[in-house]
Amino acid sequence: MEKNQFLQSFAEQFDETDPSVITFDTEFKELEEWSSMVALMIIAMVDENYNKKLTGADLRETRTIEQLFDRIVQNKPA
Amino acid sequence: MEYKSPFSLEGKNILVTGASSGIGLNICKAVVASGGKVIGVARREGMLQEMTNELGFDKASYIHADLALDEGIAKVVDAMPEVNGVVCAAGIAKMLPLKFIKRQALEEILNINYFSIVLLLSQIVRQKKIRKNDNSSIVLISSVAQQIGTKSSLLYTGSKAALSAAGRVIANELSSQKIRVNSIEPGMVQTAMASEMEDVVSRESIDKDKEKYPLGYGTAADVANATVFLLAEASKWMTGQSLTLDGGRYKLID
Repeated sequence: MEKNQFLQSFAEQFDETDPSVITFDTEFKELEEWSSMVALMIIAMVDENYNKKLTGADLRETRTIEQLFDRIVQNKPA
Repeated sequence: MEYKSPFSLEGKNILVTGASSGIGLNICKAVVASGGKVIGVARREGMLQEMTNELGFDKASYIHADLALDEGIAKVVDAMPEVNGVVCAAGIAKMLPLKFIKRQALEEILNINYFSIVLLLSQIVRQKKIRKNDNSSIVLISSVAQQIGTKSSLLYTGSKAALSAAGRVIANELSSQKIRVNSIEPGMVQTAMASEMEDVVSRESIDKDKEKYPLGYGTAADVANATVFLLAEASKWMTGQSLTLDGGRYKLID
């Protein structure tokens, strides 16, 4: 799973947030646009692109996009 | 003269789909507790065996079939006895925002939550497996979701809206045979399927959602008890209706 592609796909789920402010160090839940809807879109994006089932716990227990990425890489396929 | 409660299902044979777990399993138990006999249908045979073991072989039997396939529907209709009631409780849920929806996901959920139910009822009626002029009753387990527009629930909501609509049409078509058709539209009910959904959204948003239910989340038994009412003589003047069971969630405003 390509890391930069993941970051780009992650940023694409936001409509108002400038992609340039979304980096691996971004604490994504602190973004103003973060919402339950964006969370659902991230879950759907990970499922569609990587065939992995992200859970609410994965989003709760990670802070930065990098941490989330690492967690997904360690996950087994759905 | 001996008084028979109009809420009793004594002497009635009831076919229940989705009988292996959750709401369907609880309906099987409630039918037997109310004096009826149940024929459970599901894909998971081990769980059907457990159900019949628990309820007793004189009161409960099962037909192991996958209703998503035409062969499964044919198997059920061939094997089932003539019944006084049919409860369609088989269903799946999947959360997906609009922009991620593809034909395959849409077809999968509609196939299980809608096509299979319509096709099963079609064959049951065609082959006269539901008694006419004897206050027979069909109960469809829909969802309160079809009355509102919960984000990301399009696949599920659309399938349940179709199911509730089908209930009204079928009620009209079968009314001359005195076969009644009603749907139940529950709010959040604690089942394994709901727990799976809970895992997708956060614990906090579940707690927040729960607070919006004046009577809290429902249980599968709550839905099963309402189903018994709709199967029994007690509801013999009721057809073409959708019964909302949501602990006050959508009608009571603070």
